[in-house]
Amino acid sequence: MVHILGINLPNGALVRLALTNIYGVGHHTARRLCARLQVHDQCKVSDLSPFQITSLASFLSSPATAPPLPRFPLAKPDYVPPPPSVSAKSLIDAFMEHRKTKALKNPDPLKNLKIESELRREIRENIAHQRMIGSYVGRRHAMHLPVRGQNTQSNAKTAKKLNRLGRY
Amino acid sequence: MRPTQAVLKSARSAWKGPYFIPFPNLRDSLANNEPIYTQARACTILPNFVGVKFMVHNGKDFLPVSVTQDMVGHKLGEFSFTKKRFTFKATKK
Repeated sequence: MVHILGINLPNGALVRLALTNIYGVGHHTARRLCARLQVHDQCKVSDLSPFQITSLASFLSSPATAPPLPRFPLAKPDYVPPPPSVSAKSLIDAFMEHRKTKALKNPDPLKNLKIESELRREIRENIAHQRMIGSYVGRRHAMHLPVRGQNTQSNAKTAKKLNRLGRY
Repeated sequence: MRPTQAVLKSARSAWKGPYFIPFPNLRDSLANNEPIYTQARACTILPNFVGVKFMVHNGKDFLPVSVTQDMVGHKLGEFSFTKKRFTFKATKK
């Protein structure tokens, strides 16, 4: 049994499935997290190394301030290496200059990850915003009824359970 | 990972921009505090609408909507309710 941020990850479960126990982490985000920690697809929670567990906990505690991953761009197939007479320093300078001008194509997908209490707070604030400006959405939340035009003659059980102003 | 969602907070594509109706009498109504009667419920509330009073059609009559800063980005129709809660009428005696 591994505890991360007060959440149990059962030992026998696959890591990518166990991570979905965290509120705000689904299958897609769990796979991204595994890729970041270099955890393979069939790895179980019991197989995680202590370093991986601590790095996972430290990343999840503050995803926004986590250090960026190192990037090692691969050479294109048609790459022609410069002649050996060029000094290494000028090559590094040119590379750094190139990096500055080119915008990063794939930004970190987990940069804006919000989990657990932070995500719950965001949802609560969004509902409170709708209620404060007096829109139809806020009114439906206050009435514990579906927001997006669903039928209410029968059912609507999930909305009656969840749609309230102080949801969490 | 769609940038358009982050920019506009809506499902509409970024190159189109928000859907809105140009109100020619916007400045006059802001100065004179006169409401603008409109049936354009789908019109997005722009930042220059703040402070203006609208009378938005709900299918039957015009309901007053006074725009505040927090309403920017929503639609005019969100504030003009189209449904009435059912209540039993008192029997006449």
